[in-house]
Amino acid sequence: MLTTESLPSRQPVSKRRSTFGDDPIGYALITPFYLFLAVFVLFPILVNGYLSFTDYNFKSMSFIGFSNYNRLFHDSFFLISIRNTFVYAFFTLIFTLALGLIFAQLLNRKLRGLNGFRTSLFMPHVTSMVAVSMVWLWMYEPSHGTLNQLLDDLGLAKIDWLFDVKYALMSVIAMSVWKYLGYNMVIFLAGLQGIPRDLYEAASVDGAGALRQFRSITIPMLKPVTFFLVITGLINNFNAFEQIQILTNGGPMNSTTTIVHQIYNRAFNEFQLGYAASMAIVLLVIIAFITLINFRYGNQSYDAS
Amino acid sequence: MRAMHRSGEIILTAAMTVLSAMMLTPFLIMVMTSFKSMGEILSPQVRFLPNQWMFSNFSDAMTRGNWTIYFTNTIFVTVVTVMASLILNSIAGYAFARLQFKGRDILFIISLVGMMIPPQATMVPVFLTLKHIPLAGGNNIWGMGGLGWIDSYMGLIAPYVAGSFGVFLFRQYYLNFPRELDEAAKLDGMGRIRAFVAVYIPLSKPIFATLMVLKATQTWNEYTWPLIITNSDQMRTVQLALTLFRDETQVQWNLLMAATTIISIPLMILFLFTQRYFVEGVVTTGIKG
Repeated sequence: MLTTESLPSRQPVSKRRSTFGDDPIGYALITPFYLFLAVFVLFPILVNGYLSFTDYNFKSMSFIGFSNYNRLFHDSFFLISIRNTFVYAFFTLIFTLALGLIFAQLLNRKLRGLNGFRTSLFMPHVTSMVAVSMVWLWMYEPSHGTLNQLLDDLGLAKIDWLFDVKYALMSVIAMSVWKYLGYNMVIFLAGLQGIPRDLYEAASVDGAGALRQFRSITIPMLKPVTFFLVITGLINNFNAFEQIQILTNGGPMNSTTTIVHQIYNRAFNEFQLGYAASMAIVLLVIIAFITLINFRYGNQSYDAS
Repeated sequence: MRAMHRSGEIILTAAMTVLSAMMLTPFLIMVMTSFKSMGEILSPQVRFLPNQWMFSNFSDAMTRGNWTIYFTNTIFVTVVTVMASLILNSIAGYAFARLQFKGRDILFIISLVGMMIPPQATMVPVFLTLKHIPLAGGNNIWGMGGLGWIDSYMGLIAPYVAGSFGVFLFRQYYLNFPRELDEAAKLDGMGRIRAFVAVYIPLSKPIFATLMVLKATQTWNEYTWPLIITNSDQMRTVQLALTLFRDETQVQWNLLMAATTIISIPLMILFLFTQRYFVEGVVTTGIKG
């Protein structure tokens, strides 16, 4: 993430060397990296912009102006995918933040087995999205899966977790919360450990209780860290694809299809690459908006730390 | 007072043990299911532990498809991606942090775009770029006529190497090195590159380890990109191969879970042994970054 500290200073670090004596070596050292960046990141963004104004389909390509964008706003699949993506991003974010903070707060002390707890909470983050999706696919399986067996044993009615419009998106969110929770916890924990002890000591001398301390010290001091987690979490959640593709493939009745899932299907199943590119532009605009918020407000809050 | 504190700690430890166990439950279910027979899985009588431990599930799972090829592909792609990223990112990070050259700062800021653009958003143009790499995969000099790097190792590796996250990480790390280091190297008659190799690299072990584990995990776990870029069995990676089990009419859950266990274990072990670097990397980008 960008912070004031990480951005290059406007002043050259060493004023004595105003001749830029390292020119050839400097360029030589960044060229290999820049070559890859240019070909596989920067150039594709331009290509994407151009494609979005064409009807490219692997065979032919003609310029069609804003037709793709017009179509987007009448495409009920795309509109529903935007809604789903927002719902998914919002709820996944809220739950991972809240639970991550609670766990971090619980672990922010000398505790027997601390490392073991941290490791188990972080494990889902290390495992691939495909692998965890497969495990949850099995747990959600309607007739023999773990969750329905459990409901059955408790004498409750079984639920078609991933096949019921009412539950499908929620089920995907539940798995994602489980997967991302440990990451949030680790970051929060590091943030908590950065808060000076004496702040709490002073507060307890003043007679502030645990809850009051949490509200008046912990929450404000964690603002920069929380901000970071909100921004990266949102960007990550807006790009949800693998879990969708494996758990539900967008179903039932498109109730779980996301923007990236729509891009993938249009581009690589229906070969409407121009149209998919216009969807990607919408996604890039959303991401750019989140990043701008980060630039506008992120630096300030980091200064507080 | 002290006794109360003590009992509070015991309650907390107990609560955390329960919560951690809950977090690990999906993994336990994965492992237990991988040892059960299909008959037991489909029977209404369910137990957590397998009735009969079917060790053969693991070898059975590995006979569904060419897992030797899938593992070879994944290991190869991961190793090359990690090595290439370490080299390219460390020298670029060093240049951005310690060398003086015209346009350095603006070039660095542009490169940060690579950290902000999620790869999912550019999968269409990156696919097309790979398809039209000149003189590759039957393409002519204009990048037309063939498949380019589609369905090839280069196609799997090149886009991962392009990330600028590692450059950012290395630059941050080298910015904290004292200036005197450069002066001393200069006095010893070293050029910039000699100084990097002889002075900087020996001091960079933690950051190399951090980027190595993060990049290895990311590459090993990648699914979307292999899904898009490969179409032959010869190029399949382990993550992609997992879906072979799901696509059958009657899913063999025990075999699927066995394969899932097998492909997840290498990373879990890597994580257990390199936890320090792992968490360091995550925290560096999150807090200090």
